[in-house]
Amino acid sequence: MEDLQATEEAAFVAEDVNNIIKESIDSILLNATYTQQKVGQWTSQIVESCMKRTTALNKPFKYVVTCVIMQKNGAGLHTASSCYWDNATDGSRTVRWENKTMYCVTTVFGLAF
Amino acid sequence: MSAKDFITEPAFNAKFRQGKAQEIISEVLKTKLTNVTYHPDNTSTWTREIADDIKGKLKEMGLERYKFVVQVVIGEQRGEGVKMGCRCFWDPNTDSYATAEFSNGSIFCVAAAYGIYLY
Repeated sequence: MEDLQATEEAAFVAEDVNNIIKESIDSILLNATYTQQKVGQWTSQIVESCMKRTTALNKPFKYVVTCVIMQKNGAGLHTASSCYWDNATDGSRTVRWENKTMYCVTTVFGLAF
Repeated sequence: MSAKDFITEPAFNAKFRQGKAQEIISEVLKTKLTNVTYHPDNTSTWTREIADDIKGKLKEMGLERYKFVVQVVIGEQRGEGVKMGCRCFWDPNTDSYATAEFSNGSIFCVAAAYGIYLY
């Protein structure tokens, strides 16, 4: 019964996901300047890229990936999340990224089933 | 060993309903954010309180076997551009989400709540 021994692999590993998110954002936003027309496309590409790579880890998890891109204008931004889940198996990872013209905050939530 | 032990999905009336959840979220945002002004010190407290409030109200909906994730973003209104997107890898038969926005002259706020079924 190999399934029953999988408890170590069945916990959300934040480290692997951290790298995945950073690489996804870098590949799409690295030298880009904030453009109103492209922003929609960028958020879609980032979440899709994160999604593809986290699901490729082949773990028994459901994922929710969110991405917020904001133009640098001197304004403040606050995010918070509150989760009702099983602390032993579920987890999340948030990565804050910025360049000269914009901020990007991407979060991946992993929920075991 | 009754038939109840073998169900793999929630009954129709025990599913995460998007409309009801959206009402709950809008209600919380309106109650907490009408007439507030952005201030860097207390805005982060507000985001946390709103997220916890929404989570509490979703728990009161009484949906068994559902896990909730609530995300709240509050920003200062200064004419900047913002875009928020999400993708979910789940079972569309049982899982769903709801979002609501609120804005006034000095802040904008987006709240998203995701309901995930535990088999």
